Amino acid sequence: MSRFFRRRKFCRFTAEGVQEIDYKDLEVLKQYITETGKIVPSRITGTKAKYQRQLATAIKRARYLALLPYTDSHQ
Amino acid sequence: MRHYEIVFMVHPDQSEQVPGMIERYTNVITKDGGQVHRLEDWGRRQLAYHINKIHKAHYVLMNVEAGNEAMEELTTTFRYNDAVIRNLVIRRDEAVTEESLIMKSEKEDRERKSRYQERQAAEAKVEEAAAAEADDSGDADAAEEVAEEAVEETAEAAEADDASAADEDAEEA
Repeated sequence: MSRFFRRRKFCRFTAEGVQEIDYKDLEVLKQYITETGKIVPSRITGTKAKYQRQLATAIKRARYLALLPYTDSHQ
Repeated sequence: MRHYEIVFMVHPDQSEQVPGMIERYTNVITKDGGQVHRLEDWGRRQLAYHINKIHKAHYVLMNVEAGNEAMEELTTTFRYNDAVIRNLVIRRDEAVTEESLIMKSEKEDRERKSRYQERQAAEAKVEEAAAAEADDSGDADAAEEVAEEAVEETAEAAEADDASAADEDAEEA
């Protein structure tokens, strides 16, 4: 009898018709990592599989270039 | 010939070498018949985590069209150049020439900073003007009154955001 309304998840990349997720777009990438720096799973965010794959590579590239952290416990 | 996107990070102590490095790399690419489509110097940026006890690095982004040999040469120079901390080379399908998002946000930051400084300078001027007015009227009590009025006027002007109204008030005073 859980009758509270959960907001419908949607994939913003599909909605915006994004061609390719850019690893330099830090504002967007930051929305898809947790406070500890992990990539948020698509089952939480509702991102489509195609874009989740792109998102993962983009985040990993940004991490390699020290634009994003790997974890929150870097000394 | 293929399109590549190159990002390399230079040690902040070797920042002065960056223009020379860019020129050398551009030469490597162009002498092989390649072309540089986009060249951005992001300047010194804070790193998200420390690399070799360094907190900052100088970033350079290049979008190039180059042959295999030129790219090979470039990557080996990256490897043997101690000033280059890290480099990333990815293949692209076409030439990218528009300004990258990092460069954009950097520019906005700079603009915001300069605007803030301008506003502060303007405020300082207004205060100076009010002080000068108070000095002109001679009598100490009158000067204080005028100063108070001036403060009120400026407050009103700020609220109403109407310059002409403020001028009329000033004439009456």
